[in-house]
Amino acid sequence: MRKVHKGLLVIISGVITMFLAAGGAWAQSATPSTTAGGAGQPITFVEGTINDMRTVNPWKAIESPEYEVLALNFDTLENFNKDDLTAAPGFATSWTQSEDGLTWTFQIRDGATWQDGQPFTAEDVAFSFNKTLDCSLGNSLDYLVPKFTKSIEATSPTELVWTTSVPTLAPVRPPWVYIAPEHLWGNSSCDEIKKAPFFEDGKPMIGSGPFQLTEWKKGESWTMDANPNYWGGAPHIDKFTVVKYDNSEALVNALKNGEIDYAYIGSVDLFQQLQAAGPESGITTHVGPAISFDQMSFNMCDPTAADAAPYCAKTGSTGNPALRDPVVRTAISWAIDRQTLVSKILAGLGSIGTTVIPPFASAYHWEPTGDQVIGFDIAKANDMLEQAGYTDTDNNGIRNDPKTGKDLDFRLILRSESDVGTQVGDYVTGWLKQIGIKTEPEVLTDGKLVSAWYDNDYDLYIWGWFPDPDPDFMLSTFTSHQCGVWSDTCYANPAYDKMYTQQQTTDNVQERAPIVQQMQQTLYTDIPEIVLYYDKYLEAYNSRDWQGLEDNQSPTPDGYLWAQYTPYSALTLAPRGTETSSSSSSSVLLIVGILGAIIVIVGIVMIARRGKSDEDLA
Amino acid sequence: MGTQRYLLSKVGQLLLTLLFVLTIAFFMFRVWMPGDPVKTFVRSTGSHYSKEQQDAIRHEWGLDRPLFPDQYVDFMLGSLTFHFGFSTVLQPGVPVSSLFWEKMGKSAILITTSTIASIVIGVYLGIKGGWKRRGALDNSSMASSMVLYAMPEFVLGMILLLLFSNVVHFFPSGGYESYAVHYTGVDRYIDIGRHMALPWLTLTLAYLGEFYLVMRSSLLDVLGEEYISLARAKGVREKFVLRRHAVPNALLPTITLVALSFGFILGGVLTVELVFSYPGVGKLSVDALTARDMPMLQATFIISVIAVLVANLIADLLYAYLDPRVRRA
Repeated sequence: MRKVHKGLLVIISGVITMFLAAGGAWAQSATPSTTAGGAGQPITFVEGTINDMRTVNPWKAIESPEYEVLALNFDTLENFNKDDLTAAPGFATSWTQSEDGLTWTFQIRDGATWQDGQPFTAEDVAFSFNKTLDCSLGNSLDYLVPKFTKSIEATSPTELVWTTSVPTLAPVRPPWVYIAPEHLWGNSSCDEIKKAPFFEDGKPMIGSGPFQLTEWKKGESWTMDANPNYWGGAPHIDKFTVVKYDNSEALVNALKNGEIDYAYIGSVDLFQQLQAAGPESGITTHVGPAISFDQMSFNMCDPTAADAAPYCAKTGSTGNPALRDPVVRTAISWAIDRQTLVSKILAGLGSIGTTVIPPFASAYHWEPTGDQVIGFDIAKANDMLEQAGYTDTDNNGIRNDPKTGKDLDFRLILRSESDVGTQVGDYVTGWLKQIGIKTEPEVLTDGKLVSAWYDNDYDLYIWGWFPDPDPDFMLSTFTSHQCGVWSDTCYANPAYDKMYTQQQTTDNVQERAPIVQQMQQTLYTDIPEIVLYYDKYLEAYNSRDWQGLEDNQSPTPDGYLWAQYTPYSALTLAPRGTETSSSSSSSVLLIVGILGAIIVIVGIVMIARRGKSDEDLA
Repeated sequence: MGTQRYLLSKVGQLLLTLLFVLTIAFFMFRVWMPGDPVKTFVRSTGSHYSKEQQDAIRHEWGLDRPLFPDQYVDFMLGSLTFHFGFSTVLQPGVPVSSLFWEKMGKSAILITTSTIASIVIGVYLGIKGGWKRRGALDNSSMASSMVLYAMPEFVLGMILLLLFSNVVHFFPSGGYESYAVHYTGVDRYIDIGRHMALPWLTLTLAYLGEFYLVMRSSLLDVLGEEYISLARAKGVREKFVLRRHAVPNALLPTITLVALSFGFILGGVLTVELVFSYPGVGKLSVDALTARDMPMLQATFIISVIAVLVANLIADLLYAYLDPRVRRA
């Protein structure tokens, strides 16, 4: 009996030895992001994300990780100014507008090269822009104002001329169109360009930016190598890797453990935990700009309306017709307590939503004042509905549509991918109940929501936007021709469409801003959707080992530390110079681990031999 | 029935079952599934495809052919040759098989090694526990096995993650390998091993308990049989009573359990991979389900079914090897 125990003890100590060896090896290597790293280890900055990247085709990007990679791998014609995101010299070092406002002439940087060494010229810009126009490519088509652009041509390797039929600011918004190499894609058809993956295993993606995509393990991680020949200066790191996690908890865990160096934190609770731990923990948190917003959209598609958008008329809609009554939408807007959402959902890390052009776009944002403001007033909302004839005729606590007699019972779709979607839905449901409106919350994946949206098979849904720096794209999503494309709601208003064209055809901010503000006011009054809040961008990074992020936020103040429109901090990010242990110690620990395994085997043999002698005595 | 006939009959049964399941899968993923996969793909890309372009994609994917027999035959042949079409949402336009096999390799290492470890350890402890009933080993094994058997895999995984990654930082919290440090050669395999350690331990411990309990119970039943008493009466040494008479008979229910458990192990891998963000086929299945990527879901469904059927076939063959009565029946 005693010898069996001895054998067990031997086994246990062997297992512990192996465990300690493995753990010790991990603990040694867990120090994040090698700096000098010894033995020629590349200096790698690791970001964690819960959003996956599905394409790196510059004309097909939708998700934020895709834009992040493209911003590092490619350039745009002009940079986004670091402070206010207006046009700044980049590839185009300067530009002039003709007297009549119809011609913009750009001087293109001389001496810049693609990552394969080929010279970058104005021809590449002309190719990229014309391909976008000719093939109606991508989500940035409107930046090139196809209705008004007459030609875009390279008059020399360092000069680009953009001619329009009306004066427009479009060439200097700046256009968010990535410049692709003409020498690689010049002979591709529209179909080929649309299908091109742009990256294949073993073939790094050729761009002109400070980093180059060199590895992509789909659904898992992607790695970019620094471009030492970048015209803007070589990065101070060798590699940038992004790792995909399933949820915010795993992401924050990895950040705390030093497995990643930076993350955007979608969960306010987790962000506050990191904040509470303070920079002494080695992780610095940062509250970035309130550029994004969440909104509740109404199904505005009325296929029978005379001015119905063509897609709406063709596809039809299952939306409750009561939602097309502006009184109902206005009453709903008065019933939503946006301040509570900011306090409870965002823990104060945000601000009340008003229009679809957030306040950071200070030149264009319109803020309602005085009587224009729609606040929170349940009594007023109830009163509006009563006076409009929406009374509870069947005494079931739910108001009835006077035209159809049906209950005001709306389907409310919430996103499963949102950290806060269901919480917001609960609040909204409660408030609407107080004004006699019933909602049926339904949680769907983004894929299912997109399907419902395309089919106009919804009443209400809650989603969000990261608007572009320039207001044009966000405003365009409310034009009638965007129904079935980018429109949240199939809102169709000819007067609004006209204003959209007008703001596109002004060539100075002083003329454009009032039109843009008028458009926002129209949307605020018509309420095709309710902007619930602007949520701040919550970031955290390993400040123990890295520097150079906080000095280069963009826009200013309180801009993004990383993943910027023009990647300024990608060129200033640098390690703090802490050394990590080389990998040779892991070999020592391997030997220790093997010894542990041998001890375990010895223990097993001891028990077996003891068992044998016991049985022999039996 | 001779061995050959037994083998042929089992393989035949497997093929018939597979045919039936693939037919059900065809109906599920092609005939009954709402929505148009081409439209889903187009929407996922965010690009605008004209009707002609959509028709071209439909033709490339074979979806413009008649359901029966053309699409059905294509589907059956494609499934049997592991060609499952193109992803429509997760990675639009990318062949499903290329995504799937990359992840499958990572999961296969995890599933195989942990299943073998839990069987070997569980069976060994079950034999020892059953043979020396109510001894210290039996009592401690019984208690821990009950706890492990009752505990869901993801809970066990989260406990191990908390202890060995968050509290003592022994192991990474997830992933397949380190990204900040670029290991090569042996160091890379060690790094991968470290990342796999906690998911492996979770799966091993999660299923070890049930193998222990079944083996122990089965051995106790066998030890009460008359042929064991006879063997002892004939003077057979205890070690041979155990090894030659008790264990071979007691193993039979355990083998059945292994085959039956395989489906549950695949389910367990799914949750464990999620807990540890391990980029295997379980996580891919969840991503496909969340994204409603039907071709990917179809692939995970069919491969899972094939894996379970093959595991059962192996169990049947082992059963026949261990119990000659089965071959002769």
